[in-house]
Amino acid sequence: MTGAPAPNETIVKVADWAAGRTDAVLVTLGLGSCVAIMLHDPHACAGAMAHILLPSKSLARDATNPAKFPETAVPLLVQRLATLGADPRHLVAKLAGGASMFAQLMTPGSVQMGERNIAAARDVLRRAGIPVTAEAVGGGAGRSVRFHVADGRVEVRSVGADAIVI
Amino acid sequence: MEDVRDLKELQIDALREVANIGAGHAATALSQLTNSRIMISVPQINIVRLEEVPDLLGHPQEVVAAVLMHMLGDLTGRTLLLFPESAGRRLCDMLLRRPIGTTAAFDALEQSCLKEAGNILAGAYMNALSDFMGMLLLPSVPSLVVDLSAAVLTTTYLNFGHERDFVFCVETEFSIESPEGLRGHFLLLPDLASLKAIFDAIRLS
Repeated sequence: MTGAPAPNETIVKVADWAAGRTDAVLVTLGLGSCVAIMLHDPHACAGAMAHILLPSKSLARDATNPAKFPETAVPLLVQRLATLGADPRHLVAKLAGGASMFAQLMTPGSVQMGERNIAAARDVLRRAGIPVTAEAVGGGAGRSVRFHVADGRVEVRSVGADAIVI
Repeated sequence: MEDVRDLKELQIDALREVANIGAGHAATALSQLTNSRIMISVPQINIVRLEEVPDLLGHPQEVVAAVLMHMLGDLTGRTLLLFPESAGRRLCDMLLRRPIGTTAAFDALEQSCLKEAGNILAGAYMNALSDFMGMLLLPSVPSLVVDLSAAVLTTTYLNFGHERDFVFCVETEFSIESPEGLRGHFLLLPDLASLKAIFDAIRLS
């Protein structure tokens, strides 16, 4: 997944977001314990992605960037999708990321940031009434994802493993 | 100190000097291990926003072999040794006395070899710091991952660091003299609270 992005591809960096329609492909590379939240309205053919970094605003002093936290990223994506013609009632979500790298160095009993990010993303989506239809989360390997807005398909790649589609 | 952005120029210079002593000893150890000449850069103190961590060193999309260790004792924090994948393979060739270009994958032996290299380098670095500052520093067991640089760096700060806004690292780049120009990075990641202990030890508080 290296090289120049195709013209319809948008790279979403850490704590950033993007939205697109029809043939847009939203890409995020090198998810470790971060989580990519992807929302899709198949009827309106619109999709949006946020690359969230932390499970809660309360963990950071500077909470001005809404794409950094699930609680602010999801409302932002929903609003942006509405401007692209999506109906909030038609939205479905997919999640990727939240890996636990260097797991053996974690203090036993402590909760990994990756797991906290996954739990926080699921919780925010549940409260927003958006069903999660597929996930590629947890485990020990980082992920890169390509979200095809045309059909909602998400390609997930990890180093040293075959790509999967969710 | 509550914010890493409050570091003064004199303190940054002092941290560079501390890193130079540590990295010098680590480079000597690596040189003896590989029987090669090692060059080290002037250490850099990088202060960035947490979200900019993927761009902290090299290319975020580069696959790296990374060895993370906790630093325990009078200072707490972590050390992170990063090699681009190709340099990691070449290092395995050297350490396992194989013909150049033999190492194809990071299987159990190769993983163990890189962790041991990380152990020796971090040990040499911490020993030098211990001697210089009159402290007791202990390394934990090493942990290795082979993954995209962006994922490794972000996870290192998110999962093990305590800062969520601005973060910093004390970084030294080293290169192993060879036709391919092998390089790697050694990062010292002291917890913010331990910076005060460093400045106390070198009478810069």
